Amino acid sequence: MQWMVIFKKELLENWRNFKWVWVPIVFIIFAIMDPITTYYLPRIMESVGGMPDGAVIDIPMPSPPEALMMSYGEIGLIGVLIIVVISMGLISSEIKSGVYELILSKPVHYSNYITAKFASMFLLVSISIVLGVVAAWYYVNVLFGDLGLVETLVSVLFYLAYILLLLAIVMFFNTIFKSQGLVAFVSIFVIIVLNVVTNIYKHMATWSPMLISDYIGAYLFSGQMETEIWWSTLIAIGLAVVLLIAAIGTLKNKAME
Amino acid sequence: MDSTMLQLLIPVVILQLVLAIVALVNLIKSDSVNGPKWVWALIILLINVIGPIIYFIFGRRN
Repeated sequence: MQWMVIFKKELLENWRNFKWVWVPIVFIIFAIMDPITTYYLPRIMESVGGMPDGAVIDIPMPSPPEALMMSYGEIGLIGVLIIVVISMGLISSEIKSGVYELILSKPVHYSNYITAKFASMFLLVSISIVLGVVAAWYYVNVLFGDLGLVETLVSVLFYLAYILLLLAIVMFFNTIFKSQGLVAFVSIFVIIVLNVVTNIYKHMATWSPMLISDYIGAYLFSGQMETEIWWSTLIAIGLAVVLLIAAIGTLKNKAME
Repeated sequence: MDSTMLQLLIPVVILQLVLAIVALVNLIKSDSVNGPKWVWALIILLINVIGPIIYFIFGRRN
């Protein structure tokens, strides 16, 4: 059970450097901030003042699905940034510091090494995102009205497929570059390019994983599953697998040199 | 400030406090910090949410 050994070592390490504490807290804070500030915006405007007399502040209240989509937007922006930054040194730093040679001088399979590291990081990020979205769901229910917990949890599952792909992108570049900054930069660049390309060819690329959050929004509004959500999720998972295999291949080639 | 508003905001404040405290405890305990400790302490205490995050990402040396 070599895989389990690496996996447990990674979990322990993430526990020791407090990642299991701060990453979930940060995701919860960012997920609930938007619904709260949106709800209290009229009051904040009033108390800040500076409005001419008789001005009526009329900010339409979002519907529950809209409010939850705000939290998703926050996770998609700041959350993704944090995910990239906490995983940018997962392998690259070990290659740079030489720890990696120590590990692989023992008969460790490259596939175990990569997938165990990937799994431990994905577990941490997934739990953080689920906690964040559930907290946001609670606030949306209190502030804006009813939103089904089951639908919310289903939406999170689809969203995690998107996150799986993002993590796989970061993992892949981890095996290519030694510099953590370069890993983060190139990963974010690739994610942005994928987003832009998807937006340009939106009518054609309906299966693009970058549209998963759009489909989640549609699902929360209507309660109907589109077939596209399944396709884009499948593509996301497929691409993630391909990227991990490519990452294993890159490491093997590095060892040959 | 009515009571419901307080009830809604208290969890957020508690989470922010926990984040800052965890970062500070970590800072005090750790031997390998990038840069002077008092600067990090100020960053953690003065910049809400973002401060502790920056410390956890860039302040620690492995």
